[in-house]
Amino acid sequence: MTPTVSASGLSLRYGGTRALDDVSLRLSAGVTGLLGPNGAGKTTLLRVLATAVPADRGAFTVLGHDPGTSRGRQEVRRHLGYLPQTPGFHPDFTPFEFVDYVAILKELTDRAARHREVRRVLDEAGLDGVRGKRIRKLSGGMRQRVALAAALVGDPAFLVLDEPTVGLDPEQRMRFRELIARAGEGRTVLLSTHQTEDVAMLCHRVVVLAGGTVRFDGTPAELTARAAGRVWSSAERDPGAKAGWRTGLGTFRNVGDPPVGADLLEPTLEDGYLLTLDGLDGVDTEVAA
Amino acid sequence: MSTLTAGTPAATVTAGTRTSWAAVLTLARFETRLLLLRAPVLVAFAVYLGWTVWRTRTSWDGFPALQDADRATQGAPLLVGLAVLLCANQAVLRSRRYDTDRHLAVLVVQPWRRTAAHLLSVAAVALLTGVCVAGQFTWEALKPGAVGQGSPGELLVGPLCVLLFGAAGVLLARLVPSAFAAPLLIVLCLFFALLAPMASDEDSAARWLSPVVEESGPHPLPSELLGRPAAWHALYLAGLALSVALTAVLLSGAGRLRSLRAACAGAVLLTLVGAVAQSQGVPRETTEARTRYSVTPEKEQRCAERDATTYCAFPEWGARTDDWDRVLDGVRSLAGGAAQDRPLVVRQRVEARYGLAGDAAIDPATRPGEITVGTSWGGNRAPEFAVAVAGVLVAGTEAKAGGMCDGRMVTVMWLALADRPDPMADLRRVRLDDSDAGSAVVLSRTNPLSMTAAQTEVVRELLLRPKDGTAAKVRAHWAELTAPKVTTDRVARLLGLDEPEARDECL
Repeated sequence: MTPTVSASGLSLRYGGTRALDDVSLRLSAGVTGLLGPNGAGKTTLLRVLATAVPADRGAFTVLGHDPGTSRGRQEVRRHLGYLPQTPGFHPDFTPFEFVDYVAILKELTDRAARHREVRRVLDEAGLDGVRGKRIRKLSGGMRQRVALAAALVGDPAFLVLDEPTVGLDPEQRMRFRELIARAGEGRTVLLSTHQTEDVAMLCHRVVVLAGGTVRFDGTPAELTARAAGRVWSSAERDPGAKAGWRTGLGTFRNVGDPPVGADLLEPTLEDGYLLTLDGLDGVDTEVAA
Repeated sequence: MSTLTAGTPAATVTAGTRTSWAAVLTLARFETRLLLLRAPVLVAFAVYLGWTVWRTRTSWDGFPALQDADRATQGAPLLVGLAVLLCANQAVLRSRRYDTDRHLAVLVVQPWRRTAAHLLSVAAVALLTGVCVAGQFTWEALKPGAVGQGSPGELLVGPLCVLLFGAAGVLLARLVPSAFAAPLLIVLCLFFALLAPMASDEDSAARWLSPVVEESGPHPLPSELLGRPAAWHALYLAGLALSVALTAVLLSGAGRLRSLRAACAGAVLLTLVGAVAQSQGVPRETTEARTRYSVTPEKEQRCAERDATTYCAFPEWGARTDDWDRVLDGVRSLAGGAAQDRPLVVRQRVEARYGLAGDAAIDPATRPGEITVGTSWGGNRAPEFAVAVAGVLVAGTEAKAGGMCDGRMVTVMWLALADRPDPMADLRRVRLDDSDAGSAVVLSRTNPLSMTAAQTEVVRELLLRPKDGTAAKVRAHWAELTAPKVTTDRVARLLGLDEPEARDECL
């Protein structure tokens, strides 16, 4: 399959900090999860791919367009939908006005077609009932949907979502997952998140980033498989475990190198993720009871 | 609770519609709607339109000189300009204020094009102001008493000020991304507007650097004598607005565009050309023309004969002849003796040597039968003219009428006012103190006349009586009533009144 996004050797420094270090990626249709601890470089990578900041080194293309040139950058932006982390809103706008405004900035100039498109994405985001309400009167979850609708408007081929479910309650997160899953049908979605469940439920592929470098790039099943035979249950916290916590059953779930004869458990994506980060500088994988 | 709906097919957006400039125009329409719906702009327009309608209903007493009416359109749009400055500034800062910059920065329409859209929205408001200005001027021009001609340069000043102020608001947002900058600039503008007239010399060329240079006097001058560099000033304002606007675009990330840099340089050049050209002062030819019009008006006038009266007016005032003739006929019809058929010359005169704001008195005409009429009309000017006509009919010349200090003043005032629709109201209007009792100076375009308290008492009594009866007595005793040194008591008796009780001492 021809990748939508192809990046190689992306590097970026902020002062003395290496935010990205030789990151190479190939993204194609479907939802790709981007996992990583705080400061891993996830948002920086998304901003580079969204053409918000240029990389110091390396290159990438979106649908064959090189954002290194002015014309190429414009073409990339024509195919891009971007939902930044904690997006801002114009509170006096209605959702319709805000998405319409974004649609204009995406060069949708035909009024009738644009308004049809705005209504479509608002409907898709479940905002048809509040499209005329001022954004300042909407809940946090509703606002997040407005931001997603703004990212979706114009039917972009490449959708960049930076922690879209943060701060949402479980029901809202579930609805958002539905939206993202549907958005991933036929387009390339890069989803940055701290929520391993989101990745497990939505993504056909997952990339783990830490310290500005790619630590894992594969399917969720492959990431989960990294923890096969390395998760066990015990009555007390195992001092040899990389991470361990008391479960609701009163027993301890340990992740690491199990002792002989340990009561092995079925690993999860989160176990694989923790083990992937294990041993990295500055990354604390210890989970206290 | 809202529910998620099944996805519907995305609208097809063809590449053809995705053209950057079309997007800028679409965005400009979007921003224009927002700008026009902002409270400060709505309030400013409401005040501007309300004030304009209220003022234009009665301006110049219904007899505007259009070369003055065009300047009258300039001041009020400044209010709209200040509102647009504030709101355009806030519109540009909106993304920063609400932290949408990170999102909008990666959309297709680049920041400099967004700035261009903001500037176009300002231009739309300026255009709307232009429509208001055109409406106000058209209203003045359609008044039956309108004379003269307006200047496109003067009419452009209001809309160009709105454009300049709005562009300044956009530029300010690019230079100082703070919400406090625009209000501060507005305060500075108001402070400057307050101080500038006090600080600048009336003849100073520097005053033309202000957006609006108001000059007005009580008497309109012929267009040829204005000496205002209206077209250059409009060019200066347009160049300045364009310079500010293009600088804002350049500062928004279009600095690499050579064509834009060249356009900005061109706009600065236009500004300089306009600034230099407008500061040259009143041209020599205009100064010479002002002297000619003031000293030898007959050389500049066209004359029209109506019965025994010749009306000589500056070319732009030819249409006023009918108005003057109606008043003069009314006065003459009440006169007696040879005055009814006496040849008269009504000559329009103006003192233009002191510029537009000059209010110098005109020397009374010394030629027999010559009556001075000014360039204003309507309101107090009509009874004032009637007094001048009556003065000449009674005293022979304007100069003699001005020095009158006897009972003839009663005849003059009765002749002037008896045929007026509301004589008592006009009596008060032509007296400097707006009273109808006691002694007072009577308004005149040349030397003022004066009434004693006794004369006022007699005139007031006469005006309250039927006109025809008094007219018969005036005709019957015309020779004695118009004889020099006739006393007020004698005039009262001749006209069938008791001797007045009030004092009969000239001012």
